[in-house]
Amino acid sequence: MVGSNRTVRGNGIVHVVGDANVSPEQEKELRRKLVEKALETLRSEKESF
Amino acid sequence: MRVVHYLNQFFGGLGGEEKAGAPLEVRDGAVGPGLLLEQLLGGNAKVVTTLVCGDNYAVEKQEAMISSALEKIRDAKPDLFAAGPCFLAGRYGITAGALCSVVQSKLGIPVVTGMSEENPGVDLYRGMLYIVDSGSNSARMRDVLARMANLAKKLMNHAEIGLPAEEGYLPRGLIRDRFVEQTAAQRLVAMVLAKVKGEPFESEMMPTAFAPIPMPPALKDLAKAKVMLITDGGLVPKGNPDKIQGSAATRWGSYKIEGCDDLKAEDYEISHGGYDPQFVRQDPDRLVPLDAMRELEREGVIGKLHDEFISTSGLANPLSNTRRMGREMAERVKQLGIDAVILTST
Repeated sequence: MVGSNRTVRGNGIVHVVGDANVSPEQEKELRRKLVEKALETLRSEKESF
Repeated sequence: MRVVHYLNQFFGGLGGEEKAGAPLEVRDGAVGPGLLLEQLLGGNAKVVTTLVCGDNYAVEKQEAMISSALEKIRDAKPDLFAAGPCFLAGRYGITAGALCSVVQSKLGIPVVTGMSEENPGVDLYRGMLYIVDSGSNSARMRDVLARMANLAKKLMNHAEIGLPAEEGYLPRGLIRDRFVEQTAAQRLVAMVLAKVKGEPFESEMMPTAFAPIPMPPALKDLAKAKVMLITDGGLVPKGNPDKIQGSAATRWGSYKIEGCDDLKAEDYEISHGGYDPQFVRQDPDRLVPLDAMRELEREGVIGKLHDEFISTSGLANPLSNTRRMGREMAERVKQLGIDAVILTST
């Protein structure tokens, strides 16, 4: 992706760290997992994930 | 020919970095490089006024300084305004570009400046101004001033300005129509053949180049880290107090989330024309994951979530805006002692 490092793929454009198609509990879980993934990239020297 | 010249504290003879806070001064006649500029312009050219200002003062008080400078320039009734050359000095280049741009539009007189291609002033102003390619070596001052003088004389005589390589200015990214001998198909095939043979060829269109930015080292201790959220999805407080534009935004804002565990729908709106905002409107955490970050902060996974998030709109935003805003945001993030940023994008 144009040479950006530490990029995590979000859940689409309209709710990058959310999901309008699942229950609120599942959505919170998804958001947490995406944020945790982001935090993982910050601790890693890997360029892509 | 009456000329007004702008110089920073160094070329204006005030001193080095320690004088970067010097306020705007007006001097009669030419100063420093201005003396050479006068000579190179020849004829009856005279630098009637030189404006000198410290680089920090110029960027920190930009609006006020430019307003004041414009008045003084107007008073001098110049036929030409010249700034710099600035070489690689970024604050100087940004100021020179801003001044030239405002003088050009408000006073309608020719303006000329010089910078190195990597100077941040170039990105911001190259499309509007003739910026002589000064390179980074100030030992080449005479040569740079000579090109500035030539360009200035042509501008004053309304002569046709040649291509960047011919006149020594930085390409402005503008497209001009011309008649040539060969059709596009012929020129293209010639280029391909040259490329295949390993021979040199010149591209007619230059794709935007992104200078590679080295990846910062990883965080050693996440549990002690101060993390900040940034978004380019255009999430702003209700009423959009900073009037951030939905498209080609020139502004960004920083918004308090102290004591908040969750972004509430009624407190925010979206200023971004590029995606269907209904889902983020229902729950802004779907764009700026405050609730998840708070949980992680409480659990000690991260040290601290900074109590503001930064926002702007990334839609259809030219590099001239985003490079500047990115730099400004980075400056802020650095000032706040943030260890890491999570940037969410639509």
